[in-house]
Amino acid sequence: MRCNMNGLLEIQELTVKRGSFLLEHINFSLQENEIFSIIGKTGSGKTLLLEAIAGFYQPDQGKVLYGGTAMCEIPAFQRNIGYLYQDYSLFPHMTAFSNIAYGPKMRGVSKAEIQTGVTEIAEQLEIRHILNQYPGTLSGGEQQRVALARALIMRPSLLLLDEPFSALDPVTKRSMYDMIRKIRKDFGCSLVFVTHNFTEAESLADRIGVLIDGHLCGIVKSQDLYSAQWGREVLDFLGITEKDGRDCRDERGTL
Amino acid sequence: MKRREHNAFQSACVFLTLLTILFIGGNIAVIAFRGIRSLPECLHQRETLFAVYLSVKSACISSILCFVLSIAVSYVLTKTRLFCREAIEILLELTMSLPNIVLGLSMLILFSSPMGKALKGAGFPVVFNSSGIVLAQLVVNLPFAVKLTSTAFREVDQKLERVAGLLGATQGKCFFTILLPLCKNALISAFILVWSRALGEFGATLMLVGVTRMKTETLPASIYLDVSTNDLGGALASAFILLLISAVSLGIANHFAKANRSLSRYEM
Repeated sequence: MRCNMNGLLEIQELTVKRGSFLLEHINFSLQENEIFSIIGKTGSGKTLLLEAIAGFYQPDQGKVLYGGTAMCEIPAFQRNIGYLYQDYSLFPHMTAFSNIAYGPKMRGVSKAEIQTGVTEIAEQLEIRHILNQYPGTLSGGEQQRVALARALIMRPSLLLLDEPFSALDPVTKRSMYDMIRKIRKDFGCSLVFVTHNFTEAESLADRIGVLIDGHLCGIVKSQDLYSAQWGREVLDFLGITEKDGRDCRDERGTL
Repeated sequence: MKRREHNAFQSACVFLTLLTILFIGGNIAVIAFRGIRSLPECLHQRETLFAVYLSVKSACISSILCFVLSIAVSYVLTKTRLFCREAIEILLELTMSLPNIVLGLSMLILFSSPMGKALKGAGFPVVFNSSGIVLAQLVVNLPFAVKLTSTAFREVDQKLERVAGLLGATQGKCFFTILLPLCKNALISAFILVWSRALGEFGATLMLVGVTRMKTETLPASIYLDVSTNDLGGALASAFILLLISAVSLGIANHFAKANRSLSRYEM
């Protein structure tokens, strides 16, 4: 069933229960070509929210509308979204080339087109030299690029990233920030990424949502993260003392 | 004081382990040393060769059937939302904990019913026929095979299948391109174990098809017949053949199980 909606993705009163954890009454929409970040402590439900957006779970209440259709009603293979897990989830029995070629192969693209497509995207993401290697022999940064290439070769309208930078060293992190900006520019897709690092959310996202214990406490433009009128829980999470509004983050910008 | 207690506990465990090895090893040693002596003579007997042929043939057929069924059942149990999943799991575990002879008895009653007679009329006799051996091995091994394949399926990271789905793989393609290659070695190892168990099955076979020389005589049945006729040498030779086949198949199964562990995530 198609519904009227605002933007590429609209989440309406989304409630998902997994075990004893409850993600409650989540509302937000995502515009085309927007980068949206969800920040929150470990265990606040960020990954669950991202997986619910991807349609891996049937909502207990509410809807995730994607292009006007409930995400769960679209078969997984027709969703046209990319998902990057924190551990990249590359297929361990396939080379980097086969990982990237997997999507087009499943869609019945010809071998010649797959070869061209994989080579092109590998050049864009600077991973052409590792195409014949298995995931186990790649560094974290290389694995991430392969996983990104595997998702991007399908030209998704929406890319969901689960803590994409948490396992990377500072130098690789910085190059991946540039890569994300480049992906937005070159592929024109919208991105939602979850993180517990305020600095990367601030520097990459257009808007940020703060998730505390399964509740979306608010959404602000990234430049307003520290100046917005937050409740006590968010102020505690952001490390701002309520008394003087002073920024108490440590040097790395993380809790 | 604590250190002395720790040492005493460890020593007691080592002692009990040695006792266990002695007990199990003693049984194997009897079969190995006494069986090998009678083996050359028995290998020339038509009955022994028939028993080896029938055992291997029926174990191969029943294991293939068992695996096709167990893969389907395990897929349903581990990858689909089934409201009665727990009930099916309990049912399978129940049959696994029942003595084989009880399963054989139930099959005897089932295939002696009008349905069994109709099957016989259609050219598929089960009771007191060698085709019943395959069914007896199948019913005994099926829950065990489902358990092994379900474990193999559960060990594959679900995220990989989700990603494959989003990349355009249908459930069938995902099964053949992700799930099956990733648990290939575990499945081979499980198949060998199931085959080995089928080879040694006796209780259910005895109830369903009886023990008739050169007709329903598998290796375990041959041992039973030899002991009944006071031919201990023949029984030990058949037991030695079983021991040998089991040892080789266990070795192969362990090799594949080990290979599967190293295939698990990012260790290629």
